[in-house]
Amino acid sequence: MSGSLKLVNLIETHAEPIASQWARDVRKNPRTPSYHNIPEDKLVPVGVKFYDNFKQMFFTDKPADTSQQYFARYAEEQHQRNIPLNEALYALIMMRRHIWLYAEFQTIFISAVEQKQAVDSLVRTILMFDYAIFFISQRYQELIRKSIEEKLGVVNVLRMESPPGAKQGQYKTAIMVALVLGAFGLTYYYHAILGQNIIFTHLLYIPIVLAGIWWQKKGILVAVGLGGYVLLSHLLFLKGMPLSDDVIRAAMFLVIGTVVAFLSEGITRAEELYKPAN
Amino acid sequence: MVASMKLIDLVENHAEKIAGQWSKIVVKNPFTPFYHDKPAEKLIPQGVRFYKNFRKMFQEPKPVEASDGYFTRYAEKRYKEGVPLQEAIYALILMRRQIWLYAEFQATFSTAVEKQQAIESVTRTMLMFDYAMYFITKKYRELMKLEWFEAPNT
Repeated sequence: MSGSLKLVNLIETHAEPIASQWARDVRKNPRTPSYHNIPEDKLVPVGVKFYDNFKQMFFTDKPADTSQQYFARYAEEQHQRNIPLNEALYALIMMRRHIWLYAEFQTIFISAVEQKQAVDSLVRTILMFDYAIFFISQRYQELIRKSIEEKLGVVNVLRMESPPGAKQGQYKTAIMVALVLGAFGLTYYYHAILGQNIIFTHLLYIPIVLAGIWWQKKGILVAVGLGGYVLLSHLLFLKGMPLSDDVIRAAMFLVIGTVVAFLSEGITRAEELYKPAN
Repeated sequence: MVASMKLIDLVENHAEKIAGQWSKIVVKNPFTPFYHDKPAEKLIPQGVRFYKNFRKMFQEPKPVEASDGYFTRYAEKRYKEGVPLQEAIYALILMRRQIWLYAEFQATFSTAVEKQQAIESVTRTMLMFDYAMYFITKKYRELMKLEWFEAPNT
């Protein structure tokens, strides 16, 4: 353990210069471009914090438990800075490398016995980093999922996707039936009773858009049905008026319904990509 | 490089055995729950493939490029199998550890000079794995299309 103690003491007493070397390196490494524009004085404390925590993580009986908290925080900080996971991990790997690259590290393990101690130190440091990589990746996945869910918040309200397990399917059908019946009634009222062809059809976009969001491609049927009904109603009740306006309206129903359906399908696919695999 | 050769020979000659030991570890490690119900006959070839590629990656004058190809493919395969990123990485870490844990590795570096060689081997293996971590997480990020959801400056 005395060999490890040497390493830990070296890191503790030289935290600042090692962190400075790391900061300079990470700002120009081709694998960490997101760090290139972060000023050195903001990066050095990140390195110092890591090297200050090194002793505690190195000597603990439960390296996994002790390192989990620190590395989860590291992941949160890097994620908040919009650093991609691969770069955040590589920056950490560079922190480890800088311990070994630090000039004095070379001089503390010279004799044969010290070489053995060097191997022990390396192995223990690597063990700590193995946990680090696991915890950081895991925390990043959680943070990414959370931020995507937040970004999709309003869309998910419209999609009636939460709370999970509720009877959304039945509610969706009931709402859609009511909206479509309302649209039929409105069309009948304007065409048959008022004999007008004014812009009430804008209201028909509500069931069309919702159907696209809820049922994706199947939802296009609502657009087809409402478009067909508007045309049929026109032919029955507005015989003297030109059909062209309603043909354009029906075509627009189809276009909007299809666009919304494909967008909704895209969001569902994107969600599946980041969903936990197990 | 002599020491590294020793390590490479050991890994290559005992690929099946080391992969067998790895498969037993990965199915019960608490950090790799995805693998717990996977049969050994599906896991062992994965390990063997890695250990057989070890020489190529280890001896390559440009370790970055050699690692990029192999580990990017590794990421694609694991992603397709539905392995969560952190587990795909940890399974690989376990593969690396299994080399060092493999009984004969202890005997490979016993003398004082060999201890120095052991450090070189460990350092070189770690370098390779550093790149591995980078390429795997990068590939997973691409496959998960995370850039869709990231701020434009990243």
